Parts: sequence; C-alpha cells; structure tokens
Amino acid sequence: MNVLIADDEPLARTRLRELLTEIGGCRIVGEATTGKEALEQGVSVQPDLILMDIRMPTMDGLEAAFHLAALEQPPAIIFTTAYGDHALAAFEAHAVDYLLKPIRKERLENALHKLQQLNRAQLATLKQAGGGSPESRARTHLSVLLRGNLQLIPLESVIYFKADQKYVTVRHAAGQVLIEESLKDLEEEFSEHFFRIHRNALAAAAHISGLVKDHEGNCMLALQGIEELLEISRRHLPEVRKRLTNP
Amino acid sequence: MYSEMRALLSLNDKKKTGTAVKPVTDELFLPNFCGVRMVLALMVIAQLLAFVLALGQMGSENRWKDLSLISLFIQWAALSCGAVLCLSRPWLRKLPNIQAGLLSYLLVLGVTAVMSEAAYWILQAAVMEPPLTRAWYYGFLSRNLAISAIVSAVALRYFYVQHQWKRNIESEAQARIQALQSRIRPHFLFNSLNSIASLTRSHPNEAEAAVMDLADLFRGSLREARLRVPLSEEIELCHKYLHIEKLRLGDRLQVRWELEGLPRDALLPVLTLQPLLENAIYHGLEPLAQGGEIVISGAQQQGMIHISISNPANPAAGAKTTGNRIALDNVRQRLQAFHAKRGKLIVEHSNGTHRVQISFPYLSKEP
Repeated sequence: MNVLIADDEPLARTRLRELLTEIGGCRIVGEATTGKEALEQGVSVQPDLILMDIRMPTMDGLEAAFHLAALEQPPAIIFTTAYGDHALAAFEAHAVDYLLKPIRKERLENALHKLQQLNRAQLATLKQAGGGSPESRARTHLSVLLRGNLQLIPLESVIYFKADQKYVTVRHAAGQVLIEESLKDLEEEFSEHFFRIHRNALAAAAHISGLVKDHEGNCMLALQGIEELLEISRRHLPEVRKRLTNP
Repeated sequence: MYSEMRALLSLNDKKKTGTAVKPVTDELFLPNFCGVRMVLALMVIAQLLAFVLALGQMGSENRWKDLSLISLFIQWAALSCGAVLCLSRPWLRKLPNIQAGLLSYLLVLGVTAVMSEAAYWILQAAVMEPPLTRAWYYGFLSRNLAISAIVSAVALRYFYVQHQWKRNIESEAQARIQALQSRIRPHFLFNSLNSIASLTRSHPNEAEAAVMDLADLFRGSLREARLRVPLSEEIELCHKYLHIEKLRLGDRLQVRWELEGLPRDALLPVLTLQPLLENAIYHGLEPLAQGGEIVISGAQQQGMIHISISNPANPAAGAKTTGNRIALDNVRQRLQAFHAKRGKLIVEHSNGTHRVQISFPYLSKEP
C-alpha cells in the first residue's frame, strides 16, 4: 500500500514513518508539511492512503481532504490530531477515522485494516464543525477537477461568484471556472470576504473599485482586475453603498 | 453542501457560548420589577403581609372585612411601588448601588405616602360613618409609613445580600476557569508527547531532556497563580518551554532574546512570559509554513520594566484570533492585581507583525 504522510512537525512524521515500517506492508511514497503540499502530492503521486494531520499551515488537513475527495479515485484518509475537544464528536458521528497523538501502534494498525474513502459532504461538515480550528471554518481555496487535474483557486484571487441554474461561475484573477455549489452556501461560508450584490451574484469586498451608472440608469459594480460590470439589484444597493463608504 | 449539517454547527456554537464566562459587572442589585415573575412574587409577598397585619389586629369584630380592606390597600401600594421601581430602573442602574438603594427606599416611602393619602380621600368620600378625623388620618399615615419603612428595608437588604452572593459565585467560577485556561494548552502537551515518543527510539538522550523540561514546565504551571518570581526564573522556564517547541517545529521557530538591560531580580507574576510566548507560537508561527522569528526585548525606564514579544503573523488571519484573548486577559489581570494601574499589557498589530508589551514597576523584593 502506498502511503503519504502529511504533518508539519518533523518528529511527528518520523514517528509515523517508524511505526509504518514496523507494521509492514506499507510503502511511504511521500511526505508533506502543509495541507496544500498534501493535496498536490495526493494528486501527483496518487497514494492509496494519506495520514493527514488536521492542524497544518497554509491549508488545514480537512480542507485538503475535501479537495481530494473530488478526484475520481480519492485516497483513503486517516486524520491525526493532538487534541480533540468538541470537534471529535463530529468525527465519531460520521465514522471518520482519526488517531490521537501520541499515536499508538495498535491504533494505527487497526485503522490500516479498515481504510475508507471519505465523501465531500462528510468532510465539509467536519470543517464546519470547527475540526480544523474554530477560526478557520471557511476554505482557503476552491477546487475544480479539469480532465483529471485538480485546479486550485486561492480564495483571495476570486473576484465574483455568479449563479447560473445548476452551476456557479467563479471569476478569478486568471480566468473562470464552473463549480457545483450553491450560491447560498458560498455566501454563508465566505461571508467575511464576499457579499451579495444581486440575487445571482456575490462580489469580493477586496476587489471592489466603485459604482457606475449604465445608460439605463441601473447601478453597476466595477471590480478591480476585470472590465466587466456587475448589476446590483435595487434590494442590495443600500448594503453595497454602506460597504463602499465604510469598508 | 456545507449547509447540510448546520444544526451540528449551531450545536457546537451553543456549547461554546455555554462555557463562556460572563464578565462580572457592577450591575444594579435590585431585581427587575418589570418582569412577570417579579410582579407575581410581589403580589404573594404583599398578600402574606396583609395576612400578618389582619391577624395582628386586636379586638376586631369582622376579620374578613379587615383582611379584604388591608389586602386591597397593600396590594395597591405594593404594585405601585413595583411599577415605580420598574419605571425608574433605567436611572437607578446608572447610580452606584448605595445611592440606588437609598433612592429606591425613598421612592417606596413616597409611594406609600401618596397611596395612604389617596386611600384616606376615598374612604372619607365614600363609605365611612362617622367621618374620619384628622387624628385618625395622621395615625393611619404614620403607621403605614412605619410598616413600609421596615418591610422595604428588610427587602432591600435581602436583595442586596442575594446579589452579592450571586456575584461571588460568578467571580469564583470565572477565576477557576481562567486558572485552568491559563495553564498549558492541551494541543502543546499532546504534540510534545508525540515528539518525545518519536525521540525515544532514535535520540533517547534528547527525549530524556524533553521529559525533564516538560516536567519543570508543568510544575511551574501548577504553582499558585498569586506567586511572584524573579525574572531570571521566568526566563529559565521560557527557555525550557522553547526547547520543547523547538523539537516540534524545528527551523520554523527562531527566537531572539534582547533582555540584557533588565535586572534579573525584578519580580513578576509566575507564568507571565510563557503564555505570551505560547500565544506567539500557536497563533503566529504555527500557521505560517515557513515559520519565523520571535523577538523578546526589554528595557528599564524610570522604575518601570517593559518587555515586548513580537512575532510575524499571517496577514489573512488579521486580528480575529479570538482564542488568544484568554491568555492575554489572564496575564493582564494578574499584572493589574499586583500593580493596579501601573501594570499594563498592550497589544499591537501592524504590517504582519503582532506585538505584545507588558509593563510593571521594578521591585526586587515583596513589599
């Protein structure tokens, strides 16, 4: 079995490496120190299993797992964590496997016997329950699967979300992609940096440059980095004005 | 998709607010007389008082008539007092408790006087044969005022004592929770134990040293929070703590000490610097993939000692790190408990640098 170890602490990785060697039957195909690295290696190396620390810099383990779950053959994931508190109740509730540090050899051995793939709904819920850390309930990246490749879009580069029937268009600094999530969920998750300007659109507060009137007198929103203007509905206009005057 | 388990999320939020400690404020000791429960309680107490007074009347011919008249009057007076206290609550709560107590006492007496006056006029105009005399009026008024003065004094005293008791319980609970939370983070403890478990195989000597450091650190954290130690001792403890963190984080953790200008015998509350370092690591360095440098610098100025701890911080995280408040508040409170206004803790956040500065007067022995 090909295993990828993801943990930001070198000694924690060493311990897992040693335990896996003792248990046998595993080949360590890579080590990652951040969630993002784990995700990149998860796509490029295609391990059967990732031992994933939850609290890691840049992107936490839960989010990395969430993005990986979009792959056609996602790796199995066993989470490792130093300290549980309430979030572990959510792990139990979803039968998601996790190991508590310091990691016991027997527990690891058991977990290796009942590997499982996790689905996105499970992982999204765990992240929302504060499994990463209470401050990071929102994802740091969006991911899309394009012809077998996982494309990651950092949230800071997203300029707007626009809903169109079943899909949402994500316009970002380097282009645009379609994702299958609802605008309402996106609004809730990213409420800190995005706000609604129309029934079908969310704009990034950081990218706003100003208000413009079109020839029919409708209020339009100008955003940095794109030529296109977005329509602001009358209902959301007061809120947008407020944001513009005191950001 | 993220919304599917909102219920779970809100459950967790509730759990969090459930354990949050309300700050003990200097609020008005009087209960809120505008509430339905308080009005009911007031009516029951007034009725009991009416029973007592009716039973106490000597040589009465018709106790039921007496009781009904007394009840009518007392209920009327009590509910009016309640209404007046309810309406004046916004003003009363702006006053210190002693003044608010006196004022509400006078209000109750005033209301009693007005009610007695009104009762006298009604009785005179309506039913009484023979007509009531002036002497009867004065007796009536003075008896009412005396009863009201005694009963309301007892009631106010009761409310005050109950309020104090509640406050004591709250602040005790708060102190206990803070004592727990200011101790070493479980996240740190379990990660350290994991590192030690890893070291025991390859580097037993280092593992041994780490266990010793961890033991000293815990002994330090179990000490009485009121204790004061010399700066040298606190620095020693910080070194041990940083030694363990260094094992975990490796090159991501860099530390620079610039405390040469400080007297080593300066007293400070035990565990003042260590929690600040722990914050700097947990909220500052750990979320950064490349890590960074923590700078601990200090200066002595006009009898005051200033120590500042700065660390790089993730600009995206901004100042929303709610978790570090607890440790900061705890250190601030203890500095203030020792030095009143001269003990300070200041937090600054600018250009991706987070800086905490503590200041306290230089003392080398317990006053």
